[in-house]
Amino acid sequence: MKKLPFVFYLLFALLLISCVGNDKKDGKGKEKESLILAIGGEPDNGFDPTTGWGQYASPLFQSTLLKYDKDFNIENDAAIDYTISDDGLKWTVTLRDNIKFSDGNPLTAYDVVFTFETAKNSASVVDLTNLKEVKGIDSHTIQFTLYTRNSTFIHYLTSLGIVPEHAYDATYNENPLGSGPYQMVQWDKGQQLILTANPHYYGKKPFFKKLIFLFLSQDAAFAAAKAGQVDIASVTASLADEQVKGMKLVALKSVDNRGVVLPFMPEEGKSINGRPIGNAVTSDIAIRKAMNIGVDRQALVDGVLKGYGTPAYSIADHLPWWNSETEIENDGDIVKAKEILENAGWKENNDGIREKGGIKAQFTLHYPSNDHIRQSLSIAFVDMMIPLGIKIEVKGKNWNGIEKELHRSATLFGLGSHDPLELYNAFSSKVRGNGLNNPNYYANDVVDAYFEKALSATSQNEANEYWKQAQWDGETGFSNKGDAPWVWLVNIDHLFLMRENLVIGEQKVQPHEHSWPITDFIENWHWEKQNTNSN
Amino acid sequence: MTELIVRYLPLKRFRQRNRRKQALVMSAIAVVLLLILIGSGFFISADRLTVNFDVANSAPSLKYPFGTDWLGRNMFVRTIKGLALSFWVGLLAAFISVVIALILSLLLLLNKTMDTLVTGLIDLFLGLPHIIALILISFMFGGGLNGVIIAVALTHWPLLARLLRAEIMQIKNTEYITVSRNMGKSWTWIARHHVLPHLVPQLAIGFILMFPHAILHEASITFLGFGLSSEQPAIGIILSEAMGYLSSGMWWLAVFPGLMLLLMVAVFDSLGRNLRKVLDPFKGQQS
Repeated sequence: MKKLPFVFYLLFALLLISCVGNDKKDGKGKEKESLILAIGGEPDNGFDPTTGWGQYASPLFQSTLLKYDKDFNIENDAAIDYTISDDGLKWTVTLRDNIKFSDGNPLTAYDVVFTFETAKNSASVVDLTNLKEVKGIDSHTIQFTLYTRNSTFIHYLTSLGIVPEHAYDATYNENPLGSGPYQMVQWDKGQQLILTANPHYYGKKPFFKKLIFLFLSQDAAFAAAKAGQVDIASVTASLADEQVKGMKLVALKSVDNRGVVLPFMPEEGKSINGRPIGNAVTSDIAIRKAMNIGVDRQALVDGVLKGYGTPAYSIADHLPWWNSETEIENDGDIVKAKEILENAGWKENNDGIREKGGIKAQFTLHYPSNDHIRQSLSIAFVDMMIPLGIKIEVKGKNWNGIEKELHRSATLFGLGSHDPLELYNAFSSKVRGNGLNNPNYYANDVVDAYFEKALSATSQNEANEYWKQAQWDGETGFSNKGDAPWVWLVNIDHLFLMRENLVIGEQKVQPHEHSWPITDFIENWHWEKQNTNSN
Repeated sequence: MTELIVRYLPLKRFRQRNRRKQALVMSAIAVVLLLILIGSGFFISADRLTVNFDVANSAPSLKYPFGTDWLGRNMFVRTIKGLALSFWVGLLAAFISVVIALILSLLLLLNKTMDTLVTGLIDLFLGLPHIIALILISFMFGGGLNGVIIAVALTHWPLLARLLRAEIMQIKNTEYITVSRNMGKSWTWIARHHVLPHLVPQLAIGFILMFPHAILHEASITFLGFGLSSEQPAIGIILSEAMGYLSSGMWWLAVFPGLMLLLMVAVFDSLGRNLRKVLDPFKGQQS
């Protein structure tokens, strides 16, 4: 009897081994039409677009009205046309004919109306408060009416997946149904998600008919990749240089940035909701400028990210609304940084810390303690500031703790979105202290004016021009050339291990999420055509 | 019992020299070891913990006996600093524990209800899984250094308190206490003059033996992420960080700090045992 479990384990192990062998063969072999992905990112709230699913990436199950191509040009998706009225308040969208949900029912304008109304009424990250009314003019035409002009409204047309009115109920987030390239087969929470291609999809039919997403921890995903059990695994920079047989490392450029947000207001004893506002040191522009010039961003990229990243100069590097003048060419210039501080009256005292008017150049930098990269960046950044005579104390806290200190201490933040509204949320004086928006109480009337113009622009190009001027118009702006309220440090490359012969094509600049955005163009993925392969 | 002792006594005396002397020597060695460990943690300045990307992830060498971490920080310095921090946390927490245990156990002299109450409290704490109580209390006090010290202090007293209680029960029923009581001395007076002196060896040994527990628990809740915050050089932090690098083969991040923690705990343990032999004559003769 005692031997039985052992025999059982042995058999089980054999079974496992044989499974592994099969997977390997399939992966390298002819034309396997399924993919196993371990990219993480299981959404807590399920797959309901009206409560936030697909905000950073294409929603997979559902389709959106419009979409961005890899260079952020607007393309049609479920819509074939959209027009904006001259006053900028009425947006009219025309739907494509013959769109069907994966259950075969047609998608009409009323489903779109239902989607936007549901999203507007949901208390979630989808903020549609500017939407006054949405109505279906006929079964293929939808009219959106806004309260105020807002050019970023287009982001909702590109990101909000359309849900079916007839199949929407309380459990929709667990049983999503839509008109996107894939449909759900099964979701075992905490374990895996299985999708198959949607037979009714109107767009390009994906090559991979079946997708299996495994929700593994970073280490487990790496181990699975090593064992050949997954086709794609997301990895961190610390594991990126490990050689895995049959796998290649793909590093996607991103705008997934990390930077230090510095309290902009002087310390005047003010507070909001019991949270003190302002910092006597970082409110001095000389300190902020000196740190921006004194920090060696490339060293951070090489050291902390092992080279898998790029120096970050702004909140939106290389996006269409990025002002390329804000690029810093020779950072890490300690001499120049010291000069700025000297000229501003910050003199070094005996301890090597600068002082001005009895105030020592020291403050605290908080980071979320469970985030390894932010911790490393904080420690390295603080070390780089010592030669400048700026003493920063690092403290790891959870977000609750950080939020209490957000307005008076520096924080290691991360942002990066495909929606230019993020600039507004981070730098407009109107959203100061509103959740995590504009955490450092930055305010500049000129910047605010540009924001207004950008929001009320009627074309994306026009809006982008104003977004750029808000960053730097030659005199002022919210970038490091202007008021420098942040010290942006790095953009983190999103690293994936994938099969050598898997082709995923060119990708967008990745947003602030190292998981789903890689699936954006999944209908274009295929195996590399081999010469020896006749079919 | 007596029979056993009589039977084995001659043999033992022949085999062993003076156990107390031996124990004293061992204790002295342990103290010196600890002093070196803690002292060096005190004297190595934090400047040696600077980030140096050029030597990041290097394996143990003569220059970096414990290797370096992913930021190029010297792991030897980090480990020693971490041990020193653990030492102070352990010291403070164990001290508070002993004080709590002493006060609670002395309460039983006052009256029966107090005793029942205290015993109930001891049972309550012993019934709760240790690590859960630790996490709960540490979390309640907001984590960090304070949270850890309070949590460790509040969870380690019950065993010692029970021991002290038994001791006090024994003393309470002796004749001279009764006499003293009949002569009109108050319980507080008796506690101070008759009971406390008897408890001193128990307290000292309890204190030392609680130390390794306190340190290990500090490290483990920090490892689990409920303790010290991650920029502090604590052993628990070092170990939990090392977890992320095991799959890339950087074994030295976990092995050396772990061994050093083990060493410190073992030294404390042997110190406690040896002191017991010296201070507690009855236990001293037991093998």
